[in-house]
Amino acid sequence: MLRLSWSTFRERGQLFVGALLTVCLGVALVQSSLLILLAAATGGYVEAITLLGMTLAIATFLAVFIVASTFAFTVAQRRRDLALLRLAGAGRSQVRRLLLGEAVLLGLLGTGIGVPLGLLVQRAQTALLTGLGFVPAEFAVPWRAWIVAVSAGIGTGVAVAGVLAASRRAARVRPLEALRETGAAARVMTASRWFFGVLFLGGAVALAIVSSFAGPVAAIPLSINIAITASIGLSALSPLVVPLVGRLVGPLLRGGPLGTLAAANLRDGVRRSASTAAPLLVLVALLLGLSGTLTTLGAAAEHELRQDVRADLVVTTDGPPSVAGVPGVAVASTELSLRVPLTVTTVDDGEVETDTDAAEAVAVDPADYQRTHHRTAAEGSLADLRGHSIASGEHPLGSVVDARIGDRTVPLRVVAVLPDSFAGADVLLPRALVPPAVAEHAPAHTLVRLDPGADPARVAADLGEGRVQTAEAWVARAAAQQQDTSAGIMTVIMGLAGLYTLIAVVNAVVIGAAERRREFAVARVSGLGRGQVVRAALVESWAVAAIGLFLGGLAAAGAVAGIGAAAVRSTGAWLVGVPWPLLAAVVAGACVVVGVTSVLTSLVATRPRPVSLVGAGE
Amino acid sequence: MTAPQDTGTAPRRADLPAPAVELRGASRDYGSGQARVRALDGVSIAFAAGSWTAVMGPSGSGKSTLLHCAAGLEQVSAGQVLLSGDDITTAGERELTELRRGRIGFVFQSFNLIGSLTAEQNVTLPLRLAGRRVSGKQVRQVLASVGLDDRRRHRPRELSGGQQQRVAIARAMVTRPAVLFADEPTGALDSGSARQVLRLLRGMVTSAGQTIVMVTHDPAAAAAADSVVFLSDGRIADRALAPSAREVAERLARLEA
Repeated sequence: MLRLSWSTFRERGQLFVGALLTVCLGVALVQSSLLILLAAATGGYVEAITLLGMTLAIATFLAVFIVASTFAFTVAQRRRDLALLRLAGAGRSQVRRLLLGEAVLLGLLGTGIGVPLGLLVQRAQTALLTGLGFVPAEFAVPWRAWIVAVSAGIGTGVAVAGVLAASRRAARVRPLEALRETGAAARVMTASRWFFGVLFLGGAVALAIVSSFAGPVAAIPLSINIAITASIGLSALSPLVVPLVGRLVGPLLRGGPLGTLAAANLRDGVRRSASTAAPLLVLVALLLGLSGTLTTLGAAAEHELRQDVRADLVVTTDGPPSVAGVPGVAVASTELSLRVPLTVTTVDDGEVETDTDAAEAVAVDPADYQRTHHRTAAEGSLADLRGHSIASGEHPLGSVVDARIGDRTVPLRVVAVLPDSFAGADVLLPRALVPPAVAEHAPAHTLVRLDPGADPARVAADLGEGRVQTAEAWVARAAAQQQDTSAGIMTVIMGLAGLYTLIAVVNAVVIGAAERRREFAVARVSGLGRGQVVRAALVESWAVAAIGLFLGGLAAAGAVAGIGAAAVRSTGAWLVGVPWPLLAAVVAGACVVVGVTSVLTSLVATRPRPVSLVGAGE
Repeated sequence: MTAPQDTGTAPRRADLPAPAVELRGASRDYGSGQARVRALDGVSIAFAAGSWTAVMGPSGSGKSTLLHCAAGLEQVSAGQVLLSGDDITTAGERELTELRRGRIGFVFQSFNLIGSLTAEQNVTLPLRLAGRRVSGKQVRQVLASVGLDDRRRHRPRELSGGQQQRVAIARAMVTRPAVLFADEPTGALDSGSARQVLRLLRGMVTSAGQTIVMVTHDPAAAAAADSVVFLSDGRIADRALAPSAREVAERLARLEA
């Protein structure tokens, strides 16, 4: 069977190029991300770890998704060959093994190219992470020999996982189909498509509901998950949408013959249309979903911060500034930002378990803090924040956590529970707990309220030391910084998803056009010019791109809906962000890529004289 | 030479060997309700072992359906199908796969070779699918018997139509099937290649006692068979023993009139 897989592989290389590239890229990205992740974990670079984790998940998902949609398509195109095998005595399991054999070959070949490619990707990824400031410049990634085995496992695993569904479909091809000249029109909306479509769509809705209650903490991973499940569901159901769009295209072109032909082709080639639309769908869902989530989070955080702060000026310094005695200052709340590892010890059935997490802590003077912030505790009171105490959003009131501040560990009692927040710190500590040696170097901001009638400019000049800005400017600056980090995350994810989609879309268009040489020839024999055939194909491919963009937009809306609802509920303001420039860029990019590929491939497919193709039966 | 017998309802005499293929009151309907079409209407026919029968009839007369039902590719809506005396009417997927591996072979109008495999690989495919070992000698023998020993390593697209059809015949014959089903085997060939293919089939019947059931449009091809069955509207309309091509054409013309 493996020999047959190999010869199919060689003969129908064109069908596999896209899948092969996808597996290569998947292997390269997973290998590089894993190696960098290990190095980053040793160094404790949290943002880099989060980002690489997301990259890993998305790279693997996209690779499986694209291999799966490519193979579903190739099986549809090889129906006759597969039926012939069945006729020659192949059992169902043999057909399945043939496909899985192809997957293993694909995986091994993909690993062979992917491993060296991974080294290049690793260099690019490290440079990107350094450039975005997620890791320091001297960050180095050691090579680990065992990663090759992992890569091989990933490569074959991705390929086999992708081909699994297609191989089951292939095994169901009936031998009689080899004898039919036209091939019985295979039902596209199969029971399993309905099943998975509805299941995943339902899952996405459930996740969106969860996300609206989970709040900002889990917003990003949840939104990625929603985008992914919704895209699987919608692409399974996409054959339902294709004919609807087909009906729209005709009237749009005012019933001209090309419009009619393109619309008819859309309805006829539902599977082909669905395969081209699928990768665009995922791209849009991930990009817009993630970017919309980040924008929403950013807007909500900014809104919340603005509502919370009761100050006129903010002084930014390293270490606490000396503001005492400056005339015109009514209250000054100096807040130090620290990263504090918190350890929770639980005793469960006599077993002692400890769990340590690094928290973003702000050390404050509780009295000053309360006079410069609107925010109050959800339970307990911030006024109790003295001695060995802590205010936290994550730990129950009255529990004890061990905090490592500087080089000593202190047990702290939770005296206040903070409300859910889009901005601000994870925990608040009394400033007295921070030893001077640590405080001296901690980044600090001091919220200053002025006496009535004091001149802000005068006070600002008197404060002198450090950076003084109005509270309004400080909030805006904090929001802008948040946006920069978001933009960095987006750059990494977007580049990744975009690259995959590019491969998948080009692949689907190329395979589609190559198999349509005869159809194009028939159209030309019926009186269409070569240019008209190419234009009809272009219209058709744009319609398909529109389907992908539309459904992707739907999935993205789902991804943003959950966190959007949470933001609306918590802030009372409508803060759902739509990333319009990104949306425009994706639409334009998709139209250009799909259009250029479609024109080129249909030009190639129509190069031979039509008669030579119409006559040949095989 | 044995003519196909209309077995009807009369019991067959016990001392006769079982026919290679037999249909008993076989009907096949397509569609349902208003759109129901009866492609095969209560056909009873036995194809004796070692005989070559041509099935003819106007387009839509049910000849392809007859072939598909006899080969177990389609299930009959009513009636029975027997292969060497075994009832395969309700055979399951596994049983039918076994059947295709050893007891029946197919040849088509459009050759249906697998493009990625060489002639030799195409021929040995059924044996390998059945998990049998294939000796080089055996393959050469089979290919030599269709006159293509020197084209072993060519791929289908490097062969002429006639050569491709001979590879297809070799592939069908390599498992030594009880029955060879042929669907318009000369339909896509020029007259020279067609004659060559018919000579090849004749040789297999005469020298090895091969049973062949062949659907065709071509009176010349039908005349090469031992006997011809004419179908019309899903029923057996006529039959002829060793007719000439001219006789076949005349009877066909009468049916179509």
